Amino acid sequence: MRIVACVKAAPEDSDIAVKPDRTLDLSRAQWKVGSYDLNAVEAARQVADQVGGEVIGLSVGSEGWSGSKLRKDVLSRGLDSLVVVPGDPDADSFQTASALAAAVGELGGCDLVLLGAGSSDRYAQQVGNQLGALLGRPTLNQVDAITVDGDHVRVERLLEDGVQVVDVPLPAVLSLTSGINTPRIAGMKDILAAGKKPVSEVAAAMPGASARVASLLAPEQVDRGRVVVEGDPAETAQQLAQFLTTL
Amino acid sequence: MTEAWIVVHDLDGGNALARSARALAERVVAVSVGAGGLADADLTLTVDAAPGALVEAYAQPVAALLAARGATVVAFAGDVRSRLLAGQVAAHLGVGPTNVAGVVSTAPLVVTRLAYGGLAVATDEITAPVAVLVLEPGAVTPSDVAGQGAVEPVDATPTAGLTLVETRPKGGEQVDLTAAKRVVGVGRGFAAEADLDLARAVANRLGAELACSRPISEGVGWMPAERYLGVSGATIKPDVYLAIGISGQIQHLVGVNHAKVIVAINKDKNAPIFQQADFGVVGDLYQVLPALVDAL
Ligand SMILES: Cc1cc2nc3c(=O)[nH]c(=O)nc-3n(C[C@H](O)[C@H](O)[C@H](O)COP(=O)(O)OP(=O)(O)OC[C@H]3O[C@@H](n4cnc5c(N)ncnc54)[C@H](O)[C@@H]3O)c2cc1C
Ligand SMILES: Nc1ncnc2c1ncn2[C@@H]1O[C@H](COP(=O)(O)O)[C@@H](O)[C@H]1O
Repeated sequence: MRIVACVKAAPEDSDIAVKPDRTLDLSRAQWKVGSYDLNAVEAARQVADQVGGEVIGLSVGSEGWSGSKLRKDVLSRGLDSLVVVPGDPDADSFQTASALAAAVGELGGCDLVLLGAGSSDRYAQQVGNQLGALLGRPTLNQVDAITVDGDHVRVERLLEDGVQVVDVPLPAVLSLTSGINTPRIAGMKDILAAGKKPVSEVAAAMPGASARVASLLAPEQVDRGRVVVEGDPAETAQQLAQFLTTL
Repeated sequence: MTEAWIVVHDLDGGNALARSARALAERVVAVSVGAGGLADADLTLTVDAAPGALVEAYAQPVAALLAARGATVVAFAGDVRSRLLAGQVAAHLGVGPTNVAGVVSTAPLVVTRLAYGGLAVATDEITAPVAVLVLEPGAVTPSDVAGQGAVEPVDATPTAGLTLVETRPKGGEQVDLTAAKRVVGVGRGFAAEADLDLARAVANRLGAELACSRPISEGVGWMPAERYLGVSGATIKPDVYLAIGISGQIQHLVGVNHAKVIVAINKDKNAPIFQQADFGVVGDLYQVLPALVDAL
């Protein structure tokens, strides 16, 4: 089985500084793969280990992949190879899904595409939904369990009011929940092996954006008291209780 | 007259969305997949969903219908099924959907959405020929103007592929954390599910609702999804929020930073939550919480 796991490299949010005029300074931010994308890598590895096959990582936006550190990091977590599609990493979900769809075609197709619950910067929860429609394949979001059964997969899908059990014929496109698995921490051996795994580039065209970003600003900060107490638990609990009762 | 379209799959959610969509246009037209006519819309095009079919199987015919009727603004609710429908309908229309946190203006259509986990707010002017919007909770104020409630049945053939094997309903409590005056939030600092009783005892003393960080809900499943707070969960505005064993990542904080007062208990004095707290206790929750219950 050929499985594509979609991963996005985005600036790490804890490294993003807010300037006094509330604009963002991304210049010191490390590029990272969002924690929910790693669920897609893990799920893909698990399926491939069960039924045999390969796992290809696919990412639109080359900026974050220039250093070898991030490449090794995701490759060590279960990918067999990584394919990077040059393009705007901050593109909207239709642009990204269009590039991914074209890239999947360039790769000669696959049996299963897995995506995370949401990217760390946009968190649109939409790239997978749109990709499935563009590829014309059965598509689901919020997939919380996957079992391969011949030419289809049986999945559990988490809704607000219940769980759906759905049979999905392959090839299919599935977006996962953040609770479907716990992404593995790579060992030394995996990290060394990752350095030898192939990384390639595939070009894909992107349509125009659906919106013009007029501004991007941090919200006004609320001024907080920031009183911090430390020490004997009974004493600090007493101080906290006092603070709470004066409210 | 300006017109906003909505696509819905359940009656209650559909009527609520119809009232919200009046913030976008004078007239609201609905496409209802399997949920019948909406009293709060002016016109509902009803699609009879085949028994056992997933509502999402109608994405393509719904997109074709919207295109044929010249829809330029199409809104969806933020539930799991509506989100998938929104993404698929938008893809068939050749556009990207926008998750709307607020509406700045309708002509031109300018909306806000959260970016970088809630660290920033992006203001987007929709330039696509069709605006596909997912209205997040609280994005607009619902109108109390009554709809005309007209109904027009339309035919649609679902796309084959997905087979629904069964649905296991989730018995769940209805919680509305947004109304709570006091909220106690628990995070990964709790080592076991049973230990949440320590937080429950504090919540009882304070008359507070219990909430959590996302990993406590989606990760380990100790609390229902309705109770997690943050960019993808609930947003609260209580008088007091008490965060226990929560590190204070931006994705969580964005759901709670409208609290009047934030209090935190964390054993790591460098935890980011202390930067956002009015009062913080550095300590082990297993020692602090029993003492706090005694002190309250
Ligand atoms: C796209 C995206 C969307 C997300 N959306 C959300 C969201 O909506 N809501 C949300 O909550 N998260 C969300 N997250 C996850 C978020 O980034 C954090 O991972 C999460 O909030 C961390 O939860 P936590 O604070 O409970 O756990 P941790 O970050 O693991 O923190 C646990 C804390 O407990 C403390 N601790 C440990 N033991 C003790 C003890 N004995 N006594 C006292 N303190 C102790 C530790 O010092 C630590 O600070 C999202 C992430 C992504 C990528
Ligand atoms: N630029 C990208 N390249 C590859 N995969 C992506 C990209 N953006 C988003 N994805 C995938 O789509 C999922 C949902 O992203 P989003 O719709 O942006 O929240 C992510 O968890 C990734 O698996």
